[in-house]
Amino acid sequence: MNTNSNVYTVIYTTLIVVVVASLLAFVAMKLGPAQQANAKAETLRQMMSAAQIKPAEELYAMSNADILQLYADTIAEAYTIGADGQPNGSLSVEKGKIELIDKLKPQNKAILAGAAVTLPVYVFQSGMKVIPIYGAGLWGPVWGYVAFQPDGRTIAGAFFDHESETPGLGAKIKDESWFREKFVGKTVLWSESPAFRLEKNAEAEGSVNAVDAITGATMTSKGLNEALNVWFKAYEKHFNREEE
Amino acid sequence: MAQKLKDTILNPILKGNPITVLVLGICSSLAVTVQLKGALVMALSVIAVTGLSSFVCSLLRNTIPNRVRIIVQLVVVAMMVILVDQILKAGEGTYAIDKQLSVYIGLIITNCIVMGRIEAFALGNKPIPSLLDGLANGAGYGLILVIVAFFRELLGSGTLFGFQVLPASYVPNNLVILPPFALILLGCIIWAHRAYDKSLQEK
Repeated sequence: MNTNSNVYTVIYTTLIVVVVASLLAFVAMKLGPAQQANAKAETLRQMMSAAQIKPAEELYAMSNADILQLYADTIAEAYTIGADGQPNGSLSVEKGKIELIDKLKPQNKAILAGAAVTLPVYVFQSGMKVIPIYGAGLWGPVWGYVAFQPDGRTIAGAFFDHESETPGLGAKIKDESWFREKFVGKTVLWSESPAFRLEKNAEAEGSVNAVDAITGATMTSKGLNEALNVWFKAYEKHFNREEE
Repeated sequence: MAQKLKDTILNPILKGNPITVLVLGICSSLAVTVQLKGALVMALSVIAVTGLSSFVCSLLRNTIPNRVRIIVQLVVVAMMVILVDQILKAGEGTYAIDKQLSVYIGLIITNCIVMGRIEAFALGNKPIPSLLDGLANGAGYGLILVIVAFFRELLGSGTLFGFQVLPASYVPNNLVILPPFALILLGCIIWAHRAYDKSLQEK
């Protein structure tokens, strides 16, 4: 058979592409639920670390099933708010049916465009409220979860993650526990602009709403600062409303 | 025959090591060697991809139209890479490592070792020797990866596999964590390899 004829080549390439594509589609379908479960457990770990349920290292050592159980045991309620800060929907916190808003990128776009948003608020039994943040780092997105005390202005804890920041520099926002611990006890000053500052030498001024940026990770710190302030702004009405 | 088989397996690991002798696959060996765990998973992924891609391409070798053979090889390699990535993402224990390796798993497809072995070996040999050749080349790559990662994690973080091994008083060296140091380390390994095996030195 002439394997170099045009007809053979076209049929051969078509066939191999169809076979490979169907195989991959099949595998993606089969593994999809397991992958989503992993992603969900990951989000829960980060939220619970921010809410000071347990240290991140312990949460990362737990199995997915234990994480779901722990979340169901410690969460009080979860709901979504709109651009006006008013609750406009609820998220199930029941074990087995846990609902999260974990696609933060479209929400971030909506916030920046001033469009309609659906932002989650996770209220733990301790009274802490956990909200997500999302923005652009140096190489890719950075995001995180910030837990507020019931007063709606004091930060109880935070956890940050990133897709591809430089190991040893920008990646410190996730890898170094001292960085996220710096946020504990800080206050978001809702009336000020910016409400929070992650800047070089900011701590030296003694402000309650400032944390030092990471040395050698200027762009990551800048991106995280922007992510914090953009998302805090989006939640401002929600937390301010509660103070009344 | 037995001697030839032995050469197929041992040559890529020692005398014809893809990284230190052929100097292929350098980029990823700089990028994923900050921690041992990540390097090990990367090494296993590359072993799987090179082995299976060589095997499949060898099976198809008599049917592939010569004019589009690179494209066909690419499709096969890409499939293997996506499979490995999907499986890592689905495993409860490997999800975090896959996240940490991020794009580098996907970039295995651009690793010259994979295509190089298919072109040079799998298209002219039977499936089983091709499989072994692929696995061995992956192993040769992985070996260097693990050696580099060992030093980088030890000196850069004071840990091995995440466990603290150097005393807490050790100040981690930030240079070690950055990619240029991997290149320096790689140079040292190539130096040691050539000093040990004189036949590798050019006259």
